Amino acid sequence: MGELVELTGLKDGQPVTCACALGNLTEFESVPVDRRVMVIGGGITGITAAIDLGNAGYQVMLVDRLPSVGGRMLQLSETFPTLDCAQCTLTPRTVESGQHPKVTLKTSCEVIGLEGEPGDFTVSLRQKVTYVDWNKCTGCGTCIQKCPSKGIALFERDAGRMTAIYTLSPQAVPNKPQIDPDRCRYLTKGKCGVCAKSCPVGAIDYKQQESFFAARVGAIIVATGFDIYDWKNKMPEYGGGKIPDVIDGLTMERYLSASGPTAGAMVRPSDGKEPKEIVFIQCVGSRNPEFHKAYCSRVCCMYTAKHARLYKHKVHDGQVYVFYIDIRSTGKGYEQFIQQSVSEEEIIYIRGRAARLYREGDKVMVQGADTLTGKKIEIAADMVVLAAAMVPNAGAQELADILGIECNADGFFIEDNYKLSPVETGRQGIYIAGCCQGIKDIADSSAQGSAAASKALVFLSTLRRQNQEAV
Amino acid sequence: MEKKLGVFICWCGSNIASSVDVDKAVAEAKKLDGVVHAENYMYMCSDPGQQKVKDTISEKGLDGVVVACCSPRMHENTFRKAAGSVGLNSYLLEIANIREQCSWVHQNNKPLATAKAVSIIEGTLDKVKENLPLETITIDLTKRVCVVGGGIAGIMSALDLANAGYEVAIIEKEPAIGGHMAQISQTFPFFQNVPQLLQKKIEEVNANPRIKLYLNSEVDVLEGYVGNFNVTIRTQPAFVDPAKCTACGKCLEVCPVSVADEFNRGLSRRGAIFRYNQTEAARIPVLMQSDCLYFSAAEVADATSCRACADICPEQAIDLDSIRTLNDEFVGAIVMATGYDLYSPLKMPEYGAGQLPDVIDALAFERLLDPSGPTGGQVVRPSDGRVPKHVVFIQCVGSRDPERHKAYCSRACCMYTAKQARLYRQQVKDGTAYISYMDIRSDSRGFEEFVQQGMEQENLVYIRGRVAKVIAEGDYLRVFTADTLSSRQMEIEADLVVLAMAMEPKAGTRELAKKMNVTIDGDAFLSETHIKLYPVESSTKGVYLAGCGQSPKDITDTVSQALATAGKIQLMFSNETLIADPLIAEVKSDVCSGCGICIEICPYGARLMNNFTRISDVNQAVCQGCGACIAACPNKACELINSTSRQFIRMIGDFAGKAEAV
Repeated sequence: MGELVELTGLKDGQPVTCACALGNLTEFESVPVDRRVMVIGGGITGITAAIDLGNAGYQVMLVDRLPSVGGRMLQLSETFPTLDCAQCTLTPRTVESGQHPKVTLKTSCEVIGLEGEPGDFTVSLRQKVTYVDWNKCTGCGTCIQKCPSKGIALFERDAGRMTAIYTLSPQAVPNKPQIDPDRCRYLTKGKCGVCAKSCPVGAIDYKQQESFFAARVGAIIVATGFDIYDWKNKMPEYGGGKIPDVIDGLTMERYLSASGPTAGAMVRPSDGKEPKEIVFIQCVGSRNPEFHKAYCSRVCCMYTAKHARLYKHKVHDGQVYVFYIDIRSTGKGYEQFIQQSVSEEEIIYIRGRAARLYREGDKVMVQGADTLTGKKIEIAADMVVLAAAMVPNAGAQELADILGIECNADGFFIEDNYKLSPVETGRQGIYIAGCCQGIKDIADSSAQGSAAASKALVFLSTLRRQNQEAV
Repeated sequence: MEKKLGVFICWCGSNIASSVDVDKAVAEAKKLDGVVHAENYMYMCSDPGQQKVKDTISEKGLDGVVVACCSPRMHENTFRKAAGSVGLNSYLLEIANIREQCSWVHQNNKPLATAKAVSIIEGTLDKVKENLPLETITIDLTKRVCVVGGGIAGIMSALDLANAGYEVAIIEKEPAIGGHMAQISQTFPFFQNVPQLLQKKIEEVNANPRIKLYLNSEVDVLEGYVGNFNVTIRTQPAFVDPAKCTACGKCLEVCPVSVADEFNRGLSRRGAIFRYNQTEAARIPVLMQSDCLYFSAAEVADATSCRACADICPEQAIDLDSIRTLNDEFVGAIVMATGYDLYSPLKMPEYGAGQLPDVIDALAFERLLDPSGPTGGQVVRPSDGRVPKHVVFIQCVGSRDPERHKAYCSRACCMYTAKQARLYRQQVKDGTAYISYMDIRSDSRGFEEFVQQGMEQENLVYIRGRVAKVIAEGDYLRVFTADTLSSRQMEIEADLVVLAMAMEPKAGTRELAKKMNVTIDGDAFLSETHIKLYPVESSTKGVYLAGCGQSPKDITDTVSQALATAGKIQLMFSNETLIADPLIAEVKSDVCSGCGICIEICPYGARLMNNFTRISDVNQAVCQGCGACIAACPNKACELINSTSRQFIRMIGDFAGKAEAV
């Protein structure tokens, strides 16, 4: 490691001063600082920005706090309105980001501090403990096969199980595992060590400590994405997460995914039976200013229609009901997609909010109203899928504080001007893109990723020109 | 001489190894003709895996390699790069896809999957045997850009590119840049003053020495290909010399012509010589040839030519005999920011548009709201100038109507209607605004809140249902509609009706797209390459898309797209030349009869008739290697390099033979 620098910042929300090693990033630091950009968040938006910048000849550090890049899109089954497989669309991009000679991946890594000025920021980062020496690990996967501890898989949204040493998905980039210390038998009970014994290169390190390092960059792109609203704790009327056959939309994606926990078989969580009557409820937590989120989550109308169609492709004799307030299908080809769902797949749209869900026998009872007929409705469903509101990823406010940019009351990063500067923040050299700025779909996120890359390129090339002219 | 071939079989962890017996596959591969080395490894794409490939190539002097692993989309580049690094021509390495096309789809039958994997390997080996070593194609790159359309999309894209140091030419059909945004009063959801926002950007454009404006201009001809486009620009004659004109306005007063002003959507009238709009940038008058008596008289023998404007001009700035000009711009990339038009209200006779003066479209209503507009920002009725007390806003006019009009949603109307209704109510305190809607689509950050506030603060009356018809009754308009929430018929007596017309591609988009060789969809919107991954790339390399010409969207999303095009072009320009894959079509000159079928069929415009040899040539920079011409050629004169018919027939023979054996 190179020289040490003192840096201040926030760590877990608390101010800290840490000594960070500057250096050991030979490739990254082979170019002047005004040719380096950091992208925070390795979802589709961040990957798009990173590859664009890399292709433009800039050194890019792509930082993600999860062990691999790909973000939410990697969890999706198929995408609207073309029903393309999400993984097939994305994995070539994740692979490209991993192999790009100009892109340095820093996963399991968090930004904890920022100093300096636009054009020459020093970002301090915390490399989280993975218990695996990624420099030694070849990604052979033996440890994952041998690990005896199985538990709930984060990536599978509770729908599948995984080992205590894991990668997020089989196609993870980088394909290096990490250990969940809460579930690892060795780390919790001091017995086991199977992974260490089976590792052919001795990469397992139970004593690994977190480390800190710093990176100097000219500009920063923030693309930290979204999470799903905590409906389980905040919406008791929908069972509060206690009814097993009530799941959220992202979990449904895992059930529908060919590489998901059921290998794409449409079954319900409680008993593994194929649901014949399924109810989708939109605007769960969205458009509800009194109790939950006032805003619309923009993509739910479309993904619900997609879920309904994919379900019908798997369960031909199944019946789908969709509770909605307004159908919002505003993108290219989206209206036509909804029309097809209604006319070809016989999906029944009911305009109204579902008031309450409860369990009766092995059914989920859905009580609601049809506002077009003014009648109350009760459906005995086999399964219910909630299009829960989307919220900024946890830690957005802390990151905003570190970077010196602003968030709105809902935690979304605010742009400089809603209309004409959609990716610029109040701080020069720091740009935002994707769902962290406001919920949007993949097409719009990916366009914004490129837009943010453009802004960073313009900023840094202008800076270089000015510096040259000054000389 | 027979090639020395190597086979590397990847386990892909358990992805391949669990259904393909990789040891047996190695054993079988070793028996195949020409194979001097075969091995398997858990992750061939990992660093140690790649090292095995490299070392073996060097040690055994391999001159052909097959890596049997996942789809070539994943790691073809990886392995080709590895091969290239030890001196083996990259194109002598091929991927045999035994994961997606084998192990994943045959998970319950290991012997069959193994046999199939071996035959895929055998077929790929046969392909490699006839592969030629190739070099990548280098294409010159002109680092200049042409932006077609000077609306907000074109402006933002041009500004980013110019600020990055590249020269940009903006081609604008109208006499001023700003597009439809210049007609708009305020924004949603923050009620920002649009003229101010836009004016700042227009000034930036005018002040930027790298941006050249072609006003009153259109693309005449496009030639060339990525990195080397030649755009011929046709500019209408500039009858008024901006260097001489002092904008005194005398010509405007004497012009005897009076026609509806398009910029004000027919709410005011103008002469044949007029100011395009009230912005500073448009202070020099423009003369519309089609409206001018001087030109219409020229077509009628012995008519008196009107020269009133030219005669009165104290500076002799008006030359009625100016001619149109043609200019060439050599550029490396093109941005299509051609924008939208509103669907013609004349197609909705049931709403009386075009017949009833107080039924206007939404852009006309924007003109009423604009302080620099024809009414000074006062919302009054076009018919009698009275302040309307009851205004009905009708959404989805022509949109979401697949049987009769447009199937798609126009995306921005819900929000601008809410904004217009709120602005109206802020101005006319005792007025009532009714909004007829199907679904309220307020789906971006802050939009839902904006609509809610409109309902609560400005008492907007939202009625869910489509309006059936609008008729004139005495002094007012009777609007027949239904409230689908209470299932009741409704009639509203309105003073003014505002139609949120569907947005459609700008007139002429279809023809322009053909010139630019850009594909369009059924509604004539420009098509992107991939809606998720390449949302701003067109079907032609080097031509990018931004704004409503691609599909209807609001200003924010338009700007994001525009900036994205600027980003894509900057990264293209970061190299001195362009590199293209040499896996393209080639022509056997002795077989080609010059029939030209391939020229018609090529979706990229890569095939051109050579007028000297009468043979159809392949433009190496443009060809994408799609193979359409190969399938279409009646003489079998075209072949895809390294994917020849001979290679494919051998491969099919390998597969078919194996299938029989199983």
